[in-house]
Amino acid sequence: MKTKPILTVVSLLFAASALAFDPPPVGSAAPDFSLTDAKGNTHTLSQYKGKYVVLEWFNPECPFVKKHYGGGNMQKLQKEYTDKGVVWLTIDSNAPGTQGSLTPEQASKIMASWNTHQTALLLDPDGKVGRAYGAKNTPNMVIINPEGKIAYEGAIDSKATPNPADIPSSTNYVKAALDESLAGKPITTTQTKPYGCSVKYKSS
Amino acid sequence: MRGVRKLAAIFSCCSAVLIWPACSVSAQTYQGQQLVRAELSADTSAVVAGKPFTVGLLLRMAPGWHTYWRFSGDAGLPTELKWNLPPGWKIGEIQWPIPLKTIDPGDIQTYGYQDEVLLMQEITPPQKIDGTSVKLVADASWLVCEKICIPGNATLRLELPVSAASRPANTELFAHYRGLLPQQWPAKNVATASWSRSGTDLRLTITSPSLAGYSVVDFYPLPGEGVVTGHPTIEQRNKDTVVFRIPIESAGKNLSSIDGLVVFSQTPNGEDRGAWQLSSTPAVSTIAAPPARGLATFLLLGFIGGIILNLMPCVLPVISLKIFGFIQQAGQSREKIFRSGVAFTAGIFAWFIALAVLLIALKSVGGDVTWGGFQFTNPYFVLALSAIVLVFALNLFGVFEISLPQSVTRGALLSTDRRDLLGSFFQGVFATVLATPCTAPFLGTALGFAFSQTPAVILVMFLAIAAGMSAPYLLLSAQPAWMRFLPRPGPWMLRVKQFMGFLLLATLLFLLYVLGAQRGVEGVIWASCFLLVVSVACWMKGVFLVPNASPARRNLALALMVSLLLGSGFYFIGGKFAHATSADAQVRGDWQAFSPQRLQAELQQGHAVFVDFTAAWCLTCKFNEANVLENAEVREAFRRYGVVKLKADWTNGDPTITKLLQQFGRPGVPLYVLYPGKSEQPIVFPEVLTKNMVLEKLEAAAHRVAAQ
Repeated sequence: MKTKPILTVVSLLFAASALAFDPPPVGSAAPDFSLTDAKGNTHTLSQYKGKYVVLEWFNPECPFVKKHYGGGNMQKLQKEYTDKGVVWLTIDSNAPGTQGSLTPEQASKIMASWNTHQTALLLDPDGKVGRAYGAKNTPNMVIINPEGKIAYEGAIDSKATPNPADIPSSTNYVKAALDESLAGKPITTTQTKPYGCSVKYKSS
Repeated sequence: MRGVRKLAAIFSCCSAVLIWPACSVSAQTYQGQQLVRAELSADTSAVVAGKPFTVGLLLRMAPGWHTYWRFSGDAGLPTELKWNLPPGWKIGEIQWPIPLKTIDPGDIQTYGYQDEVLLMQEITPPQKIDGTSVKLVADASWLVCEKICIPGNATLRLELPVSAASRPANTELFAHYRGLLPQQWPAKNVATASWSRSGTDLRLTITSPSLAGYSVVDFYPLPGEGVVTGHPTIEQRNKDTVVFRIPIESAGKNLSSIDGLVVFSQTPNGEDRGAWQLSSTPAVSTIAAPPARGLATFLLLGFIGGIILNLMPCVLPVISLKIFGFIQQAGQSREKIFRSGVAFTAGIFAWFIALAVLLIALKSVGGDVTWGGFQFTNPYFVLALSAIVLVFALNLFGVFEISLPQSVTRGALLSTDRRDLLGSFFQGVFATVLATPCTAPFLGTALGFAFSQTPAVILVMFLAIAAGMSAPYLLLSAQPAWMRFLPRPGPWMLRVKQFMGFLLLATLLFLLYVLGAQRGVEGVIWASCFLLVVSVACWMKGVFLVPNASPARRNLALALMVSLLLGSGFYFIGGKFAHATSADAQVRGDWQAFSPQRLQAELQQGHAVFVDFTAAWCLTCKFNEANVLENAEVREAFRRYGVVKLKADWTNGDPTITKLLQQFGRPGVPLYVLYPGKSEQPIVFPEVLTKNMVLEKLEAAAHRVAAQ
């Protein structure tokens, strides 16, 4: 009878330690990474030092992602801010074989058919970068400032629904944060709870 | 968005056994596979104006697919239900069953439901309904996920006939999910929760003896608007304490606690899971809730209760002696009488204060303190009390005399003042000690209230009772003139005294009964052997230890008495009694221990089941059991109808049983439920049973089942 509680504690500790990863706190240094994109080019975070970088976790099958891409909302944001010099990196951290995981060819096809405007679509099939950033959802948004620190992390907007009709009435946190940063003002909302489907990580 | 969901054709559902109300079932399909079937269900066959009933959204999911809880966790979306009700209808909040916790790779934790879930809501029709039927419409929307997520929605309809009377419907379905609802936070003596904050971490400490019986304890958070928390983890787990660490991730919040569920089960996500709801908004507690009366009312109740205590058979003998004492003293100086009255009062107060202090101390240590239960859980206390009661009864019979001045045969003339006062003091103490077995049933509610209160309130409550109990004597001693209303001394006093001895023996029988519950028949026999020796010792005292016997004789007798008592004490109590074990419920009159699994198993086999919810300290329960349930006719009826008898022991506040009590809307024991059969509605008995009531219902149930 005594072993039961001990086992529970041990297994919980084990689970907690083995898999626990929380998003790095706002204001801390953004973890560096090196990933290849759909075209085969390598991108690192450090190469974009001095610029604002937006990381967007992606899954083309997820209804919450489709909410923003279907009506062109996400593409519009990507164009607007890449035109202003912001680097927009879309990341796919889904494990191979899961719905939403993309091969380079599939990624290129999606980018073309959905008419996307990000700087690059990075493939992270091992999920290492996703875990480093504590990304649990798609879409999950992270904004990194030119000093390499995390300025915002969390949801893309305020209405956690898969319904595109909710977009016009919700506050877009990414747009607000970027507008404030580019105008030299401090960001008012630096952290929110992200919503969406879960990232389909590789089981460790 | 691509159309990935189709609504299936709406069709009504019927059952072969019962006539179901007309309803619509919606199905969500994806790539040819039916993912979710949604329908509305009600727990009544008809709507009665003004009578609330329960509706539920029943979601049946394809294997591997799940929908989400009111807090979905790291991903997902909670199911939503918007009702379109005719005017005058009121609907309550969704009652969410305890969810399952899923951890996906990447430590993604979500809370939701698999296979099937019923989301219930209390609905109240208006006092007047036009028409012969009502149509309730609701828009349901959900997210169902397996490897991918598909949002679904449906407009569902439920049509019910309007009638003057209704029968329960879908009882099994609703009962099953009611059993999976979280309970309100229990009383402080069952579980306590405390929060602390250090940096960005919240810590929740839960202490409850009930937790020791569960392998899995977890905390499912319900963060409020704008609050983002990390995953709760267990920092510490002892037998009955668990400490959760909940990291706070949302900045700029002065958070000191969050709402959530404390979930416990034998296996993770087990069917037996139960939970307590922790919420900062005061919830209406249904378990052990004292009525919301003011302190003054309780003090008054305590005072009156204290006065009435004097009439209890356990107290009356001592009090009557005191009254006799007063009568004897009728000719004495007022001051003397008054002082002896005060000493008596002081004795009463002393004991009550000591008791209050002891209980406060136990509460602060965190012991499981319940009135009656606290003192009577210790068999040695009961044994000691039995010995004292016996000794006093023998004294009243005249087997021996206590050479204290209060003894009726000795006049106050032979005593000194101080011995007089001391004697009065101890009489007061003894009167209150004897009052203990009698206070529980009588002062139940008031004391229950007091125990959940601060130490100050407890002390004041006890003082009120003490005041009530001592009031008559203080009055009499202050106004000896009123004693002319008391009868004149005479031989009748002796006979009353002896009669009181029998009342004390009745108390002794009750104490032996409690001992029997604690240590079994064997325990009672060994205790009685010891009590027999005590009686002999008393007799020896009466014969040999008299003032006019020679010192040698007296010393010899005393030595003999002491060695007898010590020897028998060691042998009977230290040796035999200590090893006697309590009789299991199994041994006594073919009752078996209750468990939900046992109940289901018996019902599946087609047996009718009678469940007796009881507790060791519940005197009403004992009364019902002794009077009715163990009555020969009733037992024969149980046997004849083949009804299985299960006993649910709630002495330690077992959460499984608490859940069931809540299901039946009862704050505590006793509760008697007869399950006539698998698909029959359980029959609930009132708190006080009568033989005819039980026989009638047994017969009626048997006929109903036979007619099916």
